Amino acid sequence: MELLDLSMSEILTKLNNKEVTSVELVKLCQKRIEETKDLNALISTCFDTALEQAKIIDSKRAKGEKVGELAGVPMVIKDNINILGTKTTCASKFLSNYTSIYTATCVKKLLDAGVVVIGKANMDEFAMGSSNENSAFGPVKNPIDKTRVPGGSSGGSVCSVASKQCFASLGTETGGSVREPASFCGVVGLKPTYGRVSRYGVVAFASSLDQVGPVTRTVEDNARILSVIAGKDEMDMTSANVAVPNYLANINKGVKGIKIGVAKQFFSDKLDGEVRSKLDDAIAWYQANGAQIVDVDLPSIDAALAVYYVLSSAEAASNLARFDGIRYGVRADKYDDIIDLYFKSRTQGFGKEVKRRIMLGNYVLSSGYYDAFYRKAKRVQKVIKHEFIEAFKHCDVLLSPTTSTTAFKLGEKSNDPVAMYLSDVFTVPINIAGVPSLSIPCGVDKQGLPVGMQIIGAHFEEAKIYQVAAAFEKHNTKGEK
Amino acid sequence: MSVTIDEVKKLAKLSRLEFTEEESKQFLSEFEAILRQVDAINKVDVSGVDLLESTINADTDLRKDSVRTSLEVEKIVANAPESEDGAFVVPLTVLED
Repeated sequence: MELLDLSMSEILTKLNNKEVTSVELVKLCQKRIEETKDLNALISTCFDTALEQAKIIDSKRAKGEKVGELAGVPMVIKDNINILGTKTTCASKFLSNYTSIYTATCVKKLLDAGVVVIGKANMDEFAMGSSNENSAFGPVKNPIDKTRVPGGSSGGSVCSVASKQCFASLGTETGGSVREPASFCGVVGLKPTYGRVSRYGVVAFASSLDQVGPVTRTVEDNARILSVIAGKDEMDMTSANVAVPNYLANINKGVKGIKIGVAKQFFSDKLDGEVRSKLDDAIAWYQANGAQIVDVDLPSIDAALAVYYVLSSAEAASNLARFDGIRYGVRADKYDDIIDLYFKSRTQGFGKEVKRRIMLGNYVLSSGYYDAFYRKAKRVQKVIKHEFIEAFKHCDVLLSPTTSTTAFKLGEKSNDPVAMYLSDVFTVPINIAGVPSLSIPCGVDKQGLPVGMQIIGAHFEEAKIYQVAAAFEKHNTKGEK
Repeated sequence: MSVTIDEVKKLAKLSRLEFTEEESKQFLSEFEAILRQVDAINKVDVSGVDLLESTINADTDLRKDSVRTSLEVEKIVANAPESEDGAFVVPLTVLED
Protein backbone atom coordinates (compact mmCIF):
# COMPACT_ATOMS: atom_id res chain seq x y z
CA MET A 1 0.00 0.00 0.00
CA GLU A 2 1.17 3.48 -0.87
CA LEU A 3 1.78 6.04 1.86
CA LEU A 4 -0.88 8.35 0.44
CA ASP A 5 -3.49 5.60 0.85
CA LEU A 6 -2.99 5.50 4.60
CA SER A 7 -5.22 7.32 7.06
CA MET A 8 -3.90 10.32 8.96
CA SER A 9 -3.69 8.26 12.16
CA GLU A 10 -1.66 5.57 10.39
CA ILE A 11 0.66 8.18 8.89
CA LEU A 12 1.13 9.75 12.34
CA THR A 13 2.28 6.39 13.68
CA LYS A 14 4.77 6.13 10.84
CA LEU A 15 5.98 9.68 11.45
CA ASN A 16 6.39 9.03 15.17
CA ASN A 17 8.22 5.75 14.44
CA LYS A 18 10.48 7.70 12.06
CA GLU A 19 9.55 5.39 9.16
CA VAL A 20 8.69 8.45 7.08
CA THR A 21 9.42 12.17 7.26
CA SER A 22 7.08 15.08 6.86
CA VAL A 23 9.23 16.41 4.01
CA GLU A 24 8.68 13.13 2.14
CA LEU A 25 4.93 13.39 2.73
CA VAL A 26 4.73 16.98 1.51
CA LYS A 27 6.61 15.98 -1.66
CA LEU A 28 4.30 13.01 -2.21
CA CYS A 29 1.26 15.22 -1.78
CA GLN A 30 2.73 17.81 -4.14
CA LYS A 31 3.24 15.13 -6.78
CA ARG A 32 -0.31 13.85 -6.34
CA ILE A 33 -1.71 17.39 -6.54
CA GLU A 34 0.13 17.93 -9.82
CA GLU A 35 -1.09 14.60 -11.21
CA THR A 36 -4.70 15.35 -10.29
CA LYS A 37 -4.74 19.03 -11.23
CA ASP A 38 -7.75 18.49 -13.49
CA LEU A 39 -9.94 17.99 -10.38
CA ASN A 40 -9.41 21.71 -9.65
CA ALA A 41 -9.55 21.02 -5.91
CA LEU A 42 -7.14 23.76 -4.88
CA ILE A 43 -7.05 27.49 -5.52
CA SER A 44 -3.51 28.02 -4.27
CA THR A 45 -0.64 25.94 -2.94
CA CYS A 46 2.21 26.81 -0.57
CA PHE A 47 4.74 23.99 -0.94
CA ASP A 48 7.76 26.17 -0.18
CA THR A 49 6.58 27.24 3.25
CA ALA A 50 5.18 23.75 3.81
CA LEU A 51 8.59 22.18 3.15
CA GLU A 52 10.25 24.66 5.50
CA GLN A 53 7.80 23.78 8.26
CA ALA A 54 8.12 20.07 7.54
CA LYS A 55 11.89 20.30 7.82
CA ILE A 56 11.63 21.94 11.24
CA ILE A 57 9.25 19.24 12.47
CA ASP A 58 11.41 16.45 11.06
CA SER A 59 14.50 17.80 12.75
CA LYS A 60 12.68 18.17 16.09
CA ARG A 61 11.49 14.59 15.82
CA ALA A 62 14.92 13.34 14.85
CA LYS A 63 16.39 15.02 17.94
CA GLY A 64 13.71 13.51 20.15
CA GLU A 65 12.21 16.91 20.98
CA LYS A 66 8.53 17.20 21.84
CA VAL A 67 6.29 17.70 18.81
CA GLY A 68 2.56 18.42 18.51
CA GLU A 69 -0.09 15.71 18.26
CA LEU A 70 -0.50 16.17 14.49
CA ALA A 71 3.13 17.01 13.76
CA GLY A 72 4.11 16.65 10.13
CA VAL A 73 0.69 15.91 8.67
CA PRO A 74 0.03 17.73 5.35
CA MET A 75 -3.39 19.36 5.32
CA VAL A 76 -5.49 21.55 3.04
CA ILE A 77 -7.60 24.46 4.31
CA LYS A 78 -10.74 25.86 2.69
CA ASP A 79 -10.12 29.20 1.03
CA ASN A 80 -12.52 31.14 3.27
CA ILE A 81 -10.24 30.57 6.28
CA ASN A 82 -7.49 33.11 6.85
CA ILE A 83 -3.87 32.03 7.13
CA LEU A 84 -1.35 34.86 7.51
CA GLY A 85 0.39 35.62 4.23
CA THR A 86 -1.76 33.36 2.06
CA LYS A 87 -4.36 34.45 -0.46
CA THR A 88 -7.86 34.01 0.96
CA THR A 89 -10.20 34.41 -1.99
CA CYS A 90 -13.43 32.70 -0.89
CA ALA A 91 -13.43 31.60 -4.56
CA SER A 92 -14.66 35.10 -5.42
CA LYS A 93 -13.40 37.46 -8.08
CA PHE A 94 -13.97 40.16 -5.48
CA LEU A 95 -11.25 38.79 -3.19
CA SER A 96 -8.94 37.38 -5.89
CA ASN A 97 -6.14 39.71 -4.68
CA TYR A 98 -6.79 39.48 -0.92
CA THR A 99 -3.89 38.44 1.32
CA SER A 100 -4.66 37.38 4.89
CA ILE A 101 -3.17 39.61 7.55
CA TYR A 102 -3.81 37.18 10.41
CA THR A 103 -4.45 33.48 11.01
CA ALA A 104 -7.80 31.99 11.99
CA THR A 105 -7.88 30.39 15.44
CA CYS A 106 -8.72 26.92 14.08
CA VAL A 107 -5.66 27.02 11.79
CA LYS A 108 -3.46 28.48 14.49
CA LYS A 109 -4.36 25.51 16.69
CA LEU A 110 -3.55 23.09 13.86
CA LEU A 111 -0.21 24.80 13.21
CA ASP A 112 0.58 24.64 16.94
CA ALA A 113 -0.17 20.91 16.76
CA GLY A 114 2.38 20.62 13.95
CA VAL A 115 0.11 20.43 10.91
CA VAL A 116 1.76 21.44 7.63
CA VAL A 117 -0.61 23.41 5.39
CA ILE A 118 0.05 22.69 1.72
CA GLY A 119 -2.81 24.51 0.00
CA LYS A 120 -6.09 26.36 0.07
CA ALA A 121 -9.16 24.57 -1.24
CA ASN A 122 -11.57 25.58 -3.97
CA MET A 123 -15.17 26.16 -2.88
CA ASP A 124 -18.45 27.72 -3.91
CA GLU A 125 -18.08 31.50 -3.84
CA PHE A 126 -18.43 32.69 -0.23
CA ALA A 127 -19.53 29.11 0.63
CA MET A 128 -22.84 29.56 -1.19
CA GLY A 129 -23.65 26.44 -3.15
CA SER A 130 -24.09 22.69 -3.06
CA SER A 131 -22.09 21.62 -6.11
CA ASN A 132 -18.90 23.70 -6.14
CA GLU A 133 -19.94 25.07 -9.51
CA ASN A 134 -20.21 28.64 -8.14
CA SER A 135 -16.45 29.23 -7.98
CA ALA A 136 -14.74 32.10 -9.80
CA PHE A 137 -11.87 29.64 -10.27
CA GLY A 138 -13.99 27.03 -12.05
CA PRO A 139 -15.85 23.98 -10.75
CA VAL A 140 -14.28 21.15 -8.77
CA LYS A 141 -14.80 17.63 -10.14
CA ASN A 142 -15.82 14.55 -8.23
CA PRO A 143 -12.73 12.29 -8.07
CA ILE A 144 -14.89 9.17 -8.35
CA ASP A 145 -16.64 10.31 -11.54
CA LYS A 146 -15.28 13.47 -13.14
CA THR A 147 -18.56 14.18 -14.93
CA ARG A 148 -20.19 14.68 -11.55
CA VAL A 149 -20.08 17.37 -8.90
CA PRO A 150 -18.13 16.80 -5.68
CA GLY A 151 -20.83 18.63 -3.73
CA GLY A 152 -20.36 21.97 -2.06
CA SER A 153 -19.56 24.34 -0.78
CA SER A 154 -16.45 22.60 0.65
CA GLY A 155 -16.01 20.68 -2.63
CA GLY A 156 -12.27 21.36 -2.86
CA SER A 157 -11.57 20.40 0.77
CA VAL A 158 -13.42 17.13 0.30
CA CYS A 159 -12.06 16.38 -3.17
CA SER A 160 -8.48 16.87 -1.96
CA VAL A 161 -8.97 14.32 0.82
CA ALA A 162 -10.86 11.85 -1.39
CA SER A 163 -8.25 12.07 -4.16
CA LYS A 164 -5.44 11.67 -1.62
CA GLN A 165 -3.81 15.03 -2.25
CA CYS A 166 -3.61 15.39 1.52
CA PHE A 167 -4.47 13.41 4.65
CA ALA A 168 -7.16 15.74 5.98
CA SER A 169 -8.64 19.16 5.39
CA LEU A 170 -10.82 21.81 6.96
CA GLY A 171 -14.11 22.79 5.41
CA THR A 172 -16.87 25.04 6.67
CA GLU A 173 -20.58 24.47 7.04
CA THR A 174 -23.58 26.72 7.06
CA GLY A 175 -26.20 24.27 5.79
CA GLY A 176 -24.39 21.05 4.88
CA SER A 177 -21.27 22.30 3.10
CA VAL A 178 -19.00 19.67 4.68
CA ARG A 179 -21.39 16.73 4.95
CA GLU A 180 -22.99 16.91 1.50
CA PRO A 181 -19.66 16.80 -0.37
CA ALA A 182 -18.30 14.22 2.10
CA SER A 183 -21.29 12.07 1.19
CA PHE A 184 -20.80 12.60 -2.57
CA CYS A 185 -17.08 11.77 -2.43
CA GLY A 186 -17.13 8.94 0.12
CA VAL A 187 -15.21 10.53 2.98
CA VAL A 188 -15.90 11.53 6.59
CA GLY A 189 -17.04 15.09 7.34
CA LEU A 190 -18.20 16.76 10.53
CA LYS A 191 -20.43 19.72 11.28
CA PRO A 192 -19.62 20.38 14.93
CA THR A 193 -22.07 21.82 17.46
CA TYR A 194 -22.51 25.55 16.86
CA GLY A 195 -19.94 27.16 19.16
CA ARG A 196 -17.66 24.10 19.37
CA VAL A 197 -15.00 25.55 17.04
CA SER A 198 -13.97 29.20 16.91
CA ARG A 199 -15.07 31.11 13.83
CA TYR A 200 -12.41 33.79 14.30
CA GLY A 201 -10.71 34.29 10.96
CA VAL A 202 -13.34 32.44 8.96
CA VAL A 203 -14.98 34.72 6.40
CA ALA A 204 -18.58 35.07 7.55
CA PHE A 205 -21.47 33.82 5.44
CA ALA A 206 -24.25 33.40 8.04
CA SER A 207 -22.64 34.00 11.41
CA SER A 208 -25.33 32.29 13.51
CA LEU A 209 -24.97 29.05 11.51
CA ASP A 210 -21.33 28.90 10.30
CA GLN A 211 -19.01 26.24 11.75
CA VAL A 212 -15.61 24.87 10.74
CA GLY A 213 -15.48 21.10 10.30
CA PRO A 214 -12.76 18.50 9.64
CA VAL A 215 -12.79 16.35 6.49
CA THR A 216 -10.95 13.06 6.79
CA ARG A 217 -10.79 9.53 5.43
CA THR A 218 -11.59 7.88 8.77
CA VAL A 219 -13.68 8.58 11.85
CA GLU A 220 -10.63 8.39 14.13
CA ASP A 221 -8.79 10.99 12.02
CA ASN A 222 -11.80 13.25 12.30
CA ALA A 223 -11.90 12.92 16.10
CA ARG A 224 -8.19 13.73 16.31
CA ILE A 225 -8.61 16.96 14.38
CA LEU A 226 -11.68 18.06 16.31
CA SER A 227 -9.76 17.48 19.55
CA VAL A 228 -7.23 20.04 18.35
CA ILE A 229 -9.51 22.73 16.91
CA ALA A 230 -12.39 22.64 19.44
CA GLY A 231 -12.69 24.95 22.42
CA LYS A 232 -13.39 28.41 23.75
CA ASP A 233 -11.68 31.28 21.96
CA GLU A 234 -11.84 34.76 23.38
CA MET A 235 -11.72 36.12 19.83
CA ASP A 236 -15.10 34.53 19.08
CA MET A 237 -17.88 35.47 21.48
CA THR A 238 -20.04 32.61 20.19
CA SER A 239 -17.44 29.93 20.88
CA ALA A 240 -18.74 27.88 23.78
CA ASN A 241 -17.19 27.63 27.19
CA VAL A 242 -17.69 23.87 27.29
CA ALA A 243 -14.84 21.51 28.17
CA VAL A 244 -13.38 19.58 25.23
CA PRO A 245 -13.61 15.86 26.03
CA ASN A 246 -11.27 13.17 24.77
CA TYR A 247 -12.98 12.34 21.48
CA LEU A 248 -10.94 9.16 21.08
CA ALA A 249 -11.77 7.71 24.50
CA ASN A 250 -14.89 5.75 23.50
CA ILE A 251 -14.19 5.30 19.83
CA ASN A 252 -13.73 1.52 20.05
CA LYS A 253 -16.50 0.87 22.53
CA GLY A 254 -19.05 -0.43 20.03
CA VAL A 255 -22.76 0.26 20.06
CA LYS A 256 -24.14 -2.20 22.59
CA GLY A 257 -26.98 -0.51 24.46
CA ILE A 258 -26.78 2.66 22.34
CA LYS A 259 -30.16 4.05 21.37
CA ILE A 260 -30.30 5.15 17.75
CA GLY A 261 -33.22 7.35 16.78
CA VAL A 262 -34.79 7.17 13.34
CA ALA A 263 -37.15 9.95 12.29
CA LYS A 264 -39.57 9.19 9.48
CA GLN A 265 -39.13 12.75 8.17
CA PHE A 266 -35.63 11.78 6.99
CA PHE A 267 -36.98 8.80 5.08
CA SER A 268 -39.64 10.53 2.99
CA ASP A 269 -40.48 9.91 -0.66
CA LYS A 270 -37.76 12.44 -1.58
CA LEU A 271 -35.24 9.75 -0.77
CA ASP A 272 -33.68 7.77 -3.62
CA GLY A 273 -34.42 4.02 -3.44
CA GLU A 274 -30.80 2.89 -3.50
CA VAL A 275 -29.83 5.36 -0.78
CA ARG A 276 -32.75 4.14 1.31
CA SER A 277 -31.73 0.52 0.96
CA LYS A 278 -28.14 1.30 2.07
CA LEU A 279 -29.52 3.12 5.09
CA ASP A 280 -31.83 0.20 5.87
CA ASP A 281 -28.79 -2.10 5.78
CA ALA A 282 -26.93 0.17 8.18
CA ILE A 283 -29.86 0.30 10.59
CA ALA A 284 -30.14 -3.50 10.47
CA TRP A 285 -26.40 -3.79 11.15
CA TYR A 286 -26.63 -1.53 14.18
CA GLN A 287 -29.56 -3.51 15.50
CA ALA A 288 -27.73 -6.80 14.99
CA ASN A 289 -24.77 -5.41 16.91
CA GLY A 290 -26.58 -4.45 20.08
CA ALA A 291 -27.97 -1.00 19.36
CA GLN A 292 -31.59 -0.27 20.02
CA ILE A 293 -33.52 1.46 17.22
CA VAL A 294 -36.06 4.02 18.44
CA ASP A 295 -38.67 5.84 16.38
CA VAL A 296 -38.56 9.58 16.97
CA ASP A 297 -40.55 12.44 15.53
CA LEU A 298 -39.23 15.71 14.13
CA PRO A 299 -42.52 17.09 12.80
CA SER A 300 -41.28 20.52 11.71
CA ILE A 301 -38.03 19.72 9.92
CA ASP A 302 -39.73 19.96 6.54
CA ALA A 303 -39.69 23.71 7.15
CA ALA A 304 -35.95 23.75 7.94
CA LEU A 305 -34.85 24.45 4.37
CA ALA A 306 -37.18 27.45 4.19
CA VAL A 307 -35.91 28.70 7.54
CA TYR A 308 -32.37 28.22 6.31
CA TYR A 309 -32.82 30.24 3.13
CA VAL A 310 -34.43 33.12 5.01
CA LEU A 311 -31.92 33.28 7.86
CA SER A 312 -28.74 32.47 5.94
CA SER A 313 -29.56 34.90 3.14
CA ALA A 314 -30.48 37.65 5.59
CA GLU A 315 -27.19 37.24 7.41
CA ALA A 316 -25.27 36.93 4.14
CA ALA A 317 -26.76 40.17 2.82
CA SER A 318 -25.58 41.93 5.99
CA ASN A 319 -22.18 40.24 6.13
CA LEU A 320 -21.47 40.92 2.47
CA ALA A 321 -22.36 44.59 2.75
CA ARG A 322 -18.75 45.13 3.78
CA PHE A 323 -17.58 44.37 0.25
CA ASP A 324 -17.57 47.88 -1.09
CA GLY A 325 -14.43 48.16 -3.19
CA ILE A 326 -12.93 50.60 -0.68
CA ARG A 327 -11.21 48.66 2.08
CA TYR A 328 -10.22 45.41 0.37
CA GLY A 329 -10.92 43.39 -2.69
CA VAL A 330 -11.14 44.41 -6.31
CA ARG A 331 -12.36 47.92 -7.17
CA ALA A 332 -14.09 48.50 -10.51
CA ASP A 333 -11.92 50.33 -13.04
CA LYS A 334 -14.51 52.87 -14.13
CA TYR A 335 -17.11 54.64 -12.01
CA ASP A 336 -18.78 58.04 -11.82
CA ASP A 337 -18.77 58.71 -8.08
CA ILE A 338 -18.51 56.86 -4.77
CA ILE A 339 -22.01 55.36 -4.97
CA ASP A 340 -21.34 54.20 -8.49
CA LEU A 341 -18.05 52.70 -7.25
CA TYR A 342 -20.03 50.50 -4.84
CA PHE A 343 -22.49 49.48 -7.56
CA LYS A 344 -19.84 48.68 -10.16
CA SER A 345 -17.41 46.93 -7.79
CA ARG A 346 -20.13 44.71 -6.31
CA THR A 347 -21.78 43.98 -9.65
CA GLN A 348 -18.47 42.98 -11.24
CA GLY A 349 -17.02 41.26 -8.16
CA PHE A 350 -19.84 38.95 -7.05
CA GLY A 351 -21.05 35.87 -8.94
CA LYS A 352 -24.65 35.08 -9.71
CA GLU A 353 -25.51 32.90 -6.71
CA VAL A 354 -24.01 35.40 -4.27
CA LYS A 355 -26.08 38.18 -5.84
CA ARG A 356 -29.18 36.00 -5.60
CA ARG A 357 -28.63 35.45 -1.86
CA ILE A 358 -27.91 39.13 -1.20
CA MET A 359 -31.14 40.05 -3.00
CA LEU A 360 -33.14 37.41 -1.14
CA GLY A 361 -31.59 38.46 2.16
CA ASN A 362 -32.38 42.10 1.65
CA TYR A 363 -35.90 41.16 0.59
CA VAL A 364 -36.65 39.21 3.78
CA LEU A 365 -35.14 41.99 5.87
CA SER A 366 -36.88 44.85 4.11
CA SER A 367 -39.61 46.85 5.74
CA GLY A 368 -43.00 45.20 5.38
CA TYR A 369 -41.49 41.70 5.03
CA TYR A 370 -39.28 41.49 8.10
CA ASP A 371 -42.00 40.09 10.37
CA ALA A 372 -43.42 37.73 7.77
CA PHE A 373 -40.06 36.23 6.86
CA TYR A 374 -37.14 36.90 9.17
CA ARG A 375 -38.96 36.97 12.51
CA LYS A 376 -41.16 34.07 11.53
CA ALA A 377 -38.17 32.01 10.43
CA LYS A 378 -36.40 32.74 13.73
CA ARG A 379 -39.44 31.40 15.56
CA VAL A 380 -39.64 28.26 13.45
CA GLN A 381 -35.92 27.75 14.11
CA LYS A 382 -36.62 27.56 17.85
CA VAL A 383 -39.41 25.05 17.25
CA ILE A 384 -37.05 22.84 15.22
CA LYS A 385 -34.27 23.12 17.79
CA HIS A 386 -36.62 22.03 20.57
CA GLU A 387 -37.87 19.09 18.52
CA PHE A 388 -34.26 17.88 18.31
CA ILE A 389 -33.72 18.41 22.04
CA GLU A 390 -36.90 16.44 22.71
CA ALA A 391 -35.84 13.64 20.35
CA PHE A 392 -32.53 13.27 22.19
CA LYS A 393 -34.41 12.55 25.41
CA HIS A 394 -35.30 9.23 23.80
CA CYS A 395 -32.07 8.32 21.98
CA ASP A 396 -28.29 8.88 22.02
CA VAL A 397 -27.91 9.72 18.36
CA LEU A 398 -30.08 10.06 15.29
CA LEU A 399 -29.32 8.35 12.01
CA SER A 400 -30.32 9.64 8.59
CA PRO A 401 -29.16 9.78 4.99
CA THR A 402 -26.82 12.73 4.38
CA THR A 403 -28.26 13.43 0.95
CA SER A 404 -31.34 12.15 -0.85
CA THR A 405 -29.32 11.06 -3.92
CA THR A 406 -25.73 10.28 -4.80
CA ALA A 407 -23.58 12.87 -6.65
CA PHE A 408 -25.37 14.53 -9.56
CA LYS A 409 -23.93 15.56 -12.92
CA LEU A 410 -22.02 18.80 -13.44
CA GLY A 411 -24.48 21.32 -14.87
CA GLU A 412 -27.51 19.24 -13.91
CA LYS A 413 -28.91 21.71 -11.38
CA SER A 414 -26.87 24.84 -12.03
CA ASN A 415 -29.76 26.71 -13.67
CA ASP A 416 -32.40 25.72 -11.15
CA PRO A 417 -31.73 27.27 -7.74
CA VAL A 418 -34.68 25.54 -6.07
CA ALA A 419 -33.53 22.07 -7.20
CA MET A 420 -30.00 22.93 -6.06
CA TYR A 421 -31.23 24.10 -2.66
CA LEU A 422 -33.11 20.80 -2.24
CA SER A 423 -29.76 18.93 -2.24
CA ASP A 424 -29.40 20.16 1.34
CA VAL A 425 -32.81 19.07 2.58
CA PHE A 426 -31.40 16.51 5.06
CA THR A 427 -28.33 18.46 6.18
CA VAL A 428 -29.88 21.88 6.81
CA PRO A 429 -32.10 20.92 9.80
CA ILE A 430 -28.95 20.10 11.77
CA ASN A 431 -27.50 23.58 11.28
CA ILE A 432 -30.84 25.14 12.14
CA ALA A 433 -30.89 23.19 15.43
CA GLY A 434 -27.18 23.85 16.10
CA VAL A 435 -26.47 20.18 16.82
CA PRO A 436 -23.43 18.22 15.56
CA SER A 437 -23.56 15.69 12.74
CA LEU A 438 -21.00 13.47 11.03
CA SER A 439 -21.37 12.09 7.51
CA ILE A 440 -19.68 8.74 6.92
CA PRO A 441 -19.60 6.44 3.87
CA CYS A 442 -22.33 3.81 3.80
CA GLY A 443 -21.62 1.79 0.66
CA VAL A 444 -22.02 2.66 -3.01
CA ASP A 445 -24.94 2.65 -5.44
CA LYS A 446 -25.11 0.56 -8.65
CA GLN A 447 -23.02 3.15 -10.48
CA GLY A 448 -20.32 2.94 -7.84
CA LEU A 449 -21.13 6.36 -6.38
CA PRO A 450 -20.77 6.74 -2.61
CA VAL A 451 -23.81 6.88 -0.35
CA GLY A 452 -23.45 8.91 2.85
CA MET A 453 -25.20 8.56 6.16
CA GLN A 454 -25.15 11.09 8.92
CA ILE A 455 -25.03 10.42 12.61
CA ILE A 456 -26.50 13.34 14.50
CA GLY A 457 -25.82 14.01 18.17
CA ALA A 458 -27.25 16.24 20.87
CA HIS A 459 -25.48 19.57 21.48
CA PHE A 460 -21.78 18.96 22.32
CA GLU A 461 -22.14 15.16 22.05
CA GLU A 462 -19.59 14.70 19.25
CA ALA A 463 -17.88 11.93 21.25
CA LYS A 464 -21.04 9.81 21.09
CA ILE A 465 -21.26 10.39 17.32
CA TYR A 466 -17.68 9.22 16.82
CA GLN A 467 -18.33 6.10 18.89
CA VAL A 468 -21.38 5.14 16.84
CA ALA A 469 -19.71 6.05 13.54
CA ALA A 470 -16.47 4.19 14.25
CA ALA A 471 -18.34 0.94 14.95
CA PHE A 472 -20.04 1.01 11.56
CA GLU A 473 -16.89 2.13 9.75
CA LYS A 474 -15.02 -0.87 11.12
CA HIS A 475 -17.67 -3.15 9.65
CA ASN A 476 -18.09 -1.20 6.42
CA THR A 477 -14.40 -1.10 5.49
CA LYS A 478 -13.71 -4.70 6.45
CA GLY A 479 -11.96 -6.42 3.58
CA GLU A 480 -11.09 -3.13 1.85
CA LYS A 481 -7.50 -3.17 3.01
CA MET B 1 -46.33 35.91 -2.03
CA SER B 2 -45.76 37.59 -5.35
CA VAL B 3 -42.92 39.93 -6.17
CA THR B 4 -43.04 42.69 -8.78
CA ILE B 5 -40.32 43.78 -11.19
CA ASP B 6 -40.29 47.16 -9.45
CA GLU B 7 -39.55 45.46 -6.14
CA VAL B 8 -36.68 43.57 -7.74
CA LYS B 9 -35.28 46.84 -9.05
CA LYS B 10 -35.67 48.53 -5.69
CA LEU B 11 -33.94 45.62 -3.94
CA ALA B 12 -31.10 45.74 -6.44
CA LYS B 13 -30.64 49.41 -5.64
CA LEU B 14 -30.65 48.73 -1.89
CA SER B 15 -28.17 45.90 -2.43
CA ARG B 16 -25.90 48.13 -4.53
CA LEU B 17 -26.11 45.70 -7.43
CA GLU B 18 -26.88 46.41 -11.08
CA PHE B 19 -28.87 44.08 -13.30
CA THR B 20 -29.88 44.23 -16.93
CA GLU B 21 -33.60 44.11 -17.76
CA GLU B 22 -33.13 40.47 -18.77
CA GLU B 23 -31.40 39.58 -15.48
CA SER B 24 -34.10 41.35 -13.47
CA LYS B 25 -36.78 39.29 -15.20
CA GLN B 26 -34.90 36.07 -14.53
CA PHE B 27 -34.50 37.08 -10.91
CA LEU B 28 -38.20 37.68 -10.66
CA SER B 29 -39.11 34.17 -11.73
CA GLU B 30 -36.39 32.54 -9.59
CA PHE B 31 -37.45 34.66 -6.65
CA GLU B 32 -41.04 33.56 -6.93
CA ALA B 33 -39.98 29.91 -7.03
CA ILE B 34 -37.76 30.36 -3.98
CA LEU B 35 -40.46 32.23 -2.06
CA ARG B 36 -42.96 29.44 -2.79
CA GLN B 37 -40.54 27.10 -0.98
CA VAL B 38 -40.08 29.59 1.83
CA ASP B 39 -43.83 29.50 2.43
CA ALA B 40 -43.20 26.28 4.38
CA ILE B 41 -42.39 28.40 7.44
CA ASN B 42 -46.05 29.39 7.62
CA LYS B 43 -47.10 25.79 8.20
CA VAL B 44 -45.41 25.57 11.60
CA ASP B 45 -47.23 26.60 14.76
CA VAL B 46 -44.99 29.09 16.52
CA SER B 47 -47.31 30.27 19.24
CA GLY B 48 -45.56 30.59 22.57
CA VAL B 49 -42.06 30.58 21.10
CA ASP B 50 -39.56 32.63 23.09
CA LEU B 51 -37.66 34.68 20.53
CA LEU B 52 -35.21 35.93 23.11
CA GLU B 53 -33.81 32.47 23.75
CA SER B 54 -30.19 32.43 22.62
CA THR B 55 -29.12 30.44 19.59
CA ILE B 56 -25.88 29.70 21.39
CA ASN B 57 -26.20 26.40 23.18
CA ALA B 58 -23.94 27.15 26.10
CA ASP B 59 -23.19 29.97 28.51
CA THR B 60 -21.16 32.76 27.03
CA ASP B 61 -18.85 34.84 29.09
CA LEU B 62 -17.39 38.22 28.41
CA ARG B 63 -13.69 38.84 28.20
CA LYS B 64 -12.05 41.61 30.17
CA ASP B 65 -12.33 45.01 28.55
CA SER B 66 -8.61 45.68 28.44
CA VAL B 67 -6.27 47.43 26.04
CA ARG B 68 -4.58 45.02 23.66
CA THR B 69 -2.61 45.19 20.46
CA SER B 70 -4.75 45.13 17.38
CA LEU B 71 -3.81 44.67 13.75
CA GLU B 72 -1.36 47.16 12.33
CA VAL B 73 -2.85 49.90 10.18
CA GLU B 74 -0.22 49.48 7.44
CA LYS B 75 -1.09 45.82 7.08
CA ILE B 76 -4.80 46.55 6.89
CA VAL B 77 -4.53 49.21 4.21
CA ALA B 78 -2.14 47.03 2.21
CA ASN B 79 -5.21 45.13 0.98
CA ALA B 80 -7.05 48.29 -0.08
CA PRO B 81 -7.36 49.14 -3.76
CA GLU B 82 -5.99 52.60 -2.96
CA SER B 83 -4.48 53.99 0.23
CA GLU B 84 -2.36 56.89 1.39
CA ASP B 85 -0.63 57.54 4.73
CA GLY B 86 -2.44 54.66 6.42
CA ALA B 87 -5.87 55.77 5.19
CA PHE B 88 -8.25 54.44 2.55
CA VAL B 89 -8.58 56.62 -0.51
CA VAL B 90 -12.12 57.17 -1.80
CA PRO B 91 -13.42 59.28 -4.67
CA LEU B 92 -14.47 62.81 -3.91
CA THR B 93 -17.61 62.64 -1.79
CA VAL B 94 -18.24 66.33 -1.07
CA LEU B 95 -18.49 68.65 -4.05
CA GLU B 96 -16.65 71.94 -3.98
CA ASP B 97 -18.77 75.04 -4.46
